[in-house]
Amino acid sequence: MGTILVWREQLQKVYAKYSVYIIRVLQFVLGLFVFGLINSNIGFMKAASTTICTLGLSVVCAFLPLIIMVFAATALVLLQLYTLSVGVAVIAALLFLLMYIFYFRFSAGKSWLVLLVAVAFTLKLPLVVPVAVGLLAGPIYLVPTVFGVFSYYMLHIVKTSSSSFKTGSAGKIIEVMTAFTKQVLTNKEMLLMMAVVILCVLLVYGVRTRSADHSWKIASVSGTVLAVVMCIVGNVVMNMHIAYVSLILSAVAAIAVGLLLEVMFLSVDYNRTEYLEFEDDEYHYYVKAVPKLAVTAPEKSVKQITGQPEGNSEKNTEILKKHDDVAAAGNRNYSKNEHAEDILLTRSLNKELGIDDSNNK
Amino acid sequence: MLDKRKIRLMVRMASYEKTNARQDMKISSYYKKDYASLNTLITILWITIGYAIAGGLFVLCNMDAILKNLTIMKMVVLLALTVLGYIILIVIYGVCASSYYKAKHNRSKQRVKKYYRDMSRLGKYEEKEK
Repeated sequence: MGTILVWREQLQKVYAKYSVYIIRVLQFVLGLFVFGLINSNIGFMKAASTTICTLGLSVVCAFLPLIIMVFAATALVLLQLYTLSVGVAVIAALLFLLMYIFYFRFSAGKSWLVLLVAVAFTLKLPLVVPVAVGLLAGPIYLVPTVFGVFSYYMLHIVKTSSSSFKTGSAGKIIEVMTAFTKQVLTNKEMLLMMAVVILCVLLVYGVRTRSADHSWKIASVSGTVLAVVMCIVGNVVMNMHIAYVSLILSAVAAIAVGLLLEVMFLSVDYNRTEYLEFEDDEYHYYVKAVPKLAVTAPEKSVKQITGQPEGNSEKNTEILKKHDDVAAAGNRNYSKNEHAEDILLTRSLNKELGIDDSNNK
Repeated sequence: MLDKRKIRLMVRMASYEKTNARQDMKISSYYKKDYASLNTLITILWITIGYAIAGGLFVLCNMDAILKNLTIMKMVVLLALTVLGYIILIVIYGVCASSYYKAKHNRSKQRVKKYYRDMSRLGKYEEKEK
């Protein structure tokens, strides 16, 4: 535990020092994931699905605000869908527009969460997001999280049934649009996962904000267990096919992320909890004070050893010799002084004890 | 000699100029009521478009069920429900948008006020130095 806290301190120091670069790198990595996953899953347009395009978009988006990455991802998705079918692209565009109209017009700053949720679902770690959102944010982030789930399943449907959406004649476009809309809006797994995310976030947030000991740990575990149970019940009742192995792995990852977040953002020592009670004119207070765990990162002193050019070596040797001589002289003086002090001490003792020869004479 | 208070003031002002200043100046150039009314109106227009899209998608999705045994009575009921839903949505979003934009105007106005206060304080520092 101590080592982790030291790492946290060191991490904080590094982040404070290089935050500008770290943010850019993280944005670049997120861009790589987002554009890479879009191109690998629904890469219908060959030119837009190349590695160069993914890298280029990630690099550009790393230096721009996150909202630009959201727009770029939306544009890339629509471009890929347009290559597959005009009908699918139109419906997807309308659904994205609905998200913008009803929520992101007011709170565009939270739109990056849509990308993060979609990435987590694609990496088969769907339970990590609600636990993290419940611990670090709260119900206000529910809408972008649910939109993220919706976006993921919309693209998942396109990926799994892309062959049935390919359009040829104009008459078929309406059929494709109807089929795609039906599949997207009535997808049982999507609806179940939306319910799972909403309830999990609410439970994690509800438990986390209690003043009970280890509330963060209890919140992560209880939220994950609820999500797993809901998925299993949904699997049985609604006859779906959520893989249990990936579900369990996702649950383990969610709990691990929850514990890691607790160490990073709330490290307290529950053994030293104090209960205080006091009052003022209007209220009586029952206060529970939990001290924070604080560890100072050890400072490393770095000794720099540099090679000297050859011309200076003689001079340096001379300087070193002189330095040694001075040091040796100092040592001799010091030893002389030490010797003198010994003599003085012996004399004064002899005087006191009356065994000094000179005095006797 | 460096004046810490002056540097702190200048950093705060520069940071504000880099982030919110442009938007805040634009918002605070309106009266609160005008700003809130204008944006609520824009929101209502957007919500109307959104509602039409959502309604269209719903019809597209449930075309078979709607057209099955369609009577005039059923159509009137559907139309009434659609209008009722629209009115409820408009009222909810109208009220929320109005209070949201009023609060936004307040926040912007306060930030601009603080910025001008800092500016005059900086002016006084400059005068003192002279």
